[in-house]
Amino acid sequence: MIPDALVLEKGITARDQWVTVPAERIREVLSALKTDGYRLLVFLTCVDHLIDSSREFPARFEIVYQLRDLEKPADIRVRAFVGGESPRIDSVHDLFPTANWDERETYDMFGIVFSGHPGLTRILMPDDWVGHPLRRDFPVGGEVVEFSEEHQTWQTAPDEA
Amino acid sequence: MGVEELVAALGDNVLTTTLNKVIGWGRGNSVWPAQFGLACCAIEMIAVATARLDIGRFGSEAMRASPRQADLMIVSGRVSQKMAPVLRTVYDQMPEPKWVISMGACASTGGVFNNYALLQGVDKIVPVDVYVPGCPPRPEDLLNALMILQERIKARGIATQP
Amino acid sequence: MSTIESPGVTVSRTGEQGAFGGELLTVNFGPHHPSTHGVLRLIVDLDGEQIKRVQPVIGYLHTGIEKQMEALRWQQGVVVTDRHDYLSPPINNLAYALAVEKLMGVEVPPRARALRVIMSELTRLSSHLVWLGTSGIELGAMSMLMYCFREREQIMDLNEEISGFRMHTSYIRPGGVFADSTPRFLEMLDKFVREMPGHVDEYEDLLTMNPIWRARTIGIGRLPAEDAKVLGATGPMLRGSGVEWDLRKSMPYSGYEDYDFEVAVSNDCDCYGRYLVRIKEMREAVKILRQALDRLPDGPVNIDDRKMLPPPREELETSMEAVIHHFKLFTEGYTVPAGDAYVAVESGRGENGCYIVSDGTHKPRRVKFRSASFVNLQALERMALNHMVADMIAIIGTADTVLGDVDR
Repeated sequence: MIPDALVLEKGITARDQWVTVPAERIREVLSALKTDGYRLLVFLTCVDHLIDSSREFPARFEIVYQLRDLEKPADIRVRAFVGGESPRIDSVHDLFPTANWDERETYDMFGIVFSGHPGLTRILMPDDWVGHPLRRDFPVGGEVVEFSEEHQTWQTAPDEA
Repeated sequence: MGVEELVAALGDNVLTTTLNKVIGWGRGNSVWPAQFGLACCAIEMIAVATARLDIGRFGSEAMRASPRQADLMIVSGRVSQKMAPVLRTVYDQMPEPKWVISMGACASTGGVFNNYALLQGVDKIVPVDVYVPGCPPRPEDLLNALMILQERIKARGIATQP
Repeated sequence: MSTIESPGVTVSRTGEQGAFGGELLTVNFGPHHPSTHGVLRLIVDLDGEQIKRVQPVIGYLHTGIEKQMEALRWQQGVVVTDRHDYLSPPINNLAYALAVEKLMGVEVPPRARALRVIMSELTRLSSHLVWLGTSGIELGAMSMLMYCFREREQIMDLNEEISGFRMHTSYIRPGGVFADSTPRFLEMLDKFVREMPGHVDEYEDLLTMNPIWRARTIGIGRLPAEDAKVLGATGPMLRGSGVEWDLRKSMPYSGYEDYDFEVAVSNDCDCYGRYLVRIKEMREAVKILRQALDRLPDGPVNIDDRKMLPPPREELETSMEAVIHHFKLFTEGYTVPAGDAYVAVESGRGENGCYIVSDGTHKPRRVKFRSASFVNLQALERMALNHMVADMIAIIGTADTVLGDVDR
C-alpha cells in the first residue's frame, strides 16, 4: 500500500478510484503499487490546467497514471502535479516498460521532461517541430472557417495566456 | 486515287490524330494505381479491388507496390505534416505521365480535422486531377472518379501537357 | 558510414561486427511500404538476414485528434472518435459514449445497450476480416482478401441499413444510439448470423492446415505470456500468448455480462496462435450476435433527457419547448460535470480506452485515447528479435496495428 505520508488527497470520481501524490516521489508510489499487484500501466498522460475556473489545482500540469491489477481486477489512478517553466518528473520506464512510448508522447505533446528516460525524443511530430501541440496555449491551427463560431475565437488559447 | 492525291486530300494529321486516339485509349484503359494507402480511405480502396466492385473491369486492378511502375496515385486518407514530404517523394518517383486522385475529404481539404497536424488539402503539394468527396467515399465514388479520369486521359491522348 | 539509397529503402553500414563474420546493416522499411499496414516506418539492424534491432518510427498519420476534440463540443466529438481506429469505429464511439455517460451519471435503456453490443460485435467481425484478408495477401494467400471482403461488404450493408453510412457510422452516441434498428436490419442480421459460421469454416479450410501459412506463422514472433503482460499487450496479442484476459469478461461494460461466450485463448504464443485466437473470436462474435438478436429487448433506444439529446421530429411541430431545446442543443451543446473518467472497451486489437477530463463546460478539457495498437507495437522488437527479415511481415501482420490508432 502507498504510505499515508505520500498521499496528498484521495477520492472516487465517477466510480474511479484515484490518489494524488507528490510529483518528486512518484517512483516510490508506483513501485509500492506495483508490489501490491498493480502491474499494468494502462496509460500515462498529462492534462494541462492552464485557466480552469471550475476547480483549484496545485500546478499547471497534471500527470495521470492509470494502473491496473489484472488479478482482482481493479484500477487506480495516480495523479501528480508539476509546474514551472520546464516541468519535470521522474521516468518510470524501468518499472513499467509501456511507459517508454507514453512518456515520449507526453514529452512531445506537452513538453514534460521525464528524467532518466533512455531516449526522450519526439515521437508523433516531426523532429524539427517547434512547440508542444496539446498545451492549451498552442493554437488548434488549420485554416479559419468563415462564418463559423470559431471564426473569431478559433484559438483555444485565452487572451491572457 | 493516287498516293499524292490521298495525302493532299487528308493532310498530315490523320495518322497523328489516330495515334493520339490509340494512345489515349490504351493509357486510359490501363491506369495502374500506386499502392499508397494512408488511412480509413485505404480500406475502401482495398474494397474497390475485391469481388463486389472489381476495379479490374476498368483496367486498374494492378496496384503497383513501387511508384516507378505506377501512373496513378490515389491519395487515400489524411496526409500529416510528417507524411507530406514522403508523399511528394513518392509522387516524384512516378514516371510521367502521371495522375493523382485525391480520395476523401481529408485528402481534399483536411476534412473534419482542421488542425495543426494535417496538411489542409493534398493539392498544396501535388497537382490533383480528380477530387472524390466523402469521409470515406463509397467505393463506387472512387470508381466514378476513375472513369472521369479515364475520359480525360482518352481526350488528352499523346500530349503530355494538358 | 556509407549510405546506399534506392527508392523506399535506405541501407547504411553500422560498422558493428555480426555473428557470421559480416557487418551489421541498417535497413529502412517504409513509411510507404506495401506490407507495413499503413504508414509505419521501421529502422531495422540486420546481421545477414537476421533482425538484431528494430526501431519503429511512428507519427506519419498523426491527426491531432486529441487536440481537435478540445475544440469540438461534447456531442460533436463522436464524429472524430470514429476516425482514430478506423477499423472499429463503433467500438471507439462506445468508449467515448460510456466515458461521457459515466461522468454524467446516466444509464442508457436496455435496447440501446443491446444495439451497442450488436454494433460492437459486427465491427469486431469486420475488423478481423480486414485483418485476415490483408495478412493473407501479405503471406501469399491471395484469395483470402476476396473471401474476407465478400463478408465485410455484408457488414457494411448492415451498417448502412442501420446508420446510413458504411464505415464511420457515428452510431453510438452519449445518451443512446443514433436511431432504432429497422425491421430490414434485423432480417439482414439474422441471415448474416446464420451464414457467417459457414464462412468462417471456409477461411479455416483455406488457412488452418495450409502448409505455407503454417510454415510462415508457427514459431514466428514468439511472445511468452510473461513478456506480453510486462509489455502491456492487450487483445489477441495477449490472448494469443495464453493469458485469459478479455475486458468483456473481466470488466464487463454495456451489458456484456448477460451474454454467454468464451474467451478465445491460445497457448501457442506465436503468429499462428494469434491467428487462431482471431478465428475463434469471430465465431464467438457470431454467438453473441445470435443471443443479442434473439433477446433484443423492446423499448426506447435513447435516454429521455431533452438537455442531452434532441427531441423527436414530431414534437418540434407542436411544442415550443422542444424547439428551444433543439436550438440550445445544436448551438451550445450540453455540459458535463467537472471531473474525469476512464472507460476501457475491448476492440478488435485490445483495450481501446477513453479518458476524458471535463471542466464543466460545453467542450472537453482533455480527451485521451488509450489505443491498443500504440502499446502493442512496443512489443514488436521483442517478437522480431533474431527472426529473418521476411518474418517481419508476418509479425507486423499478426500484431494487427492500425496506424490511425497508433498515431491518433
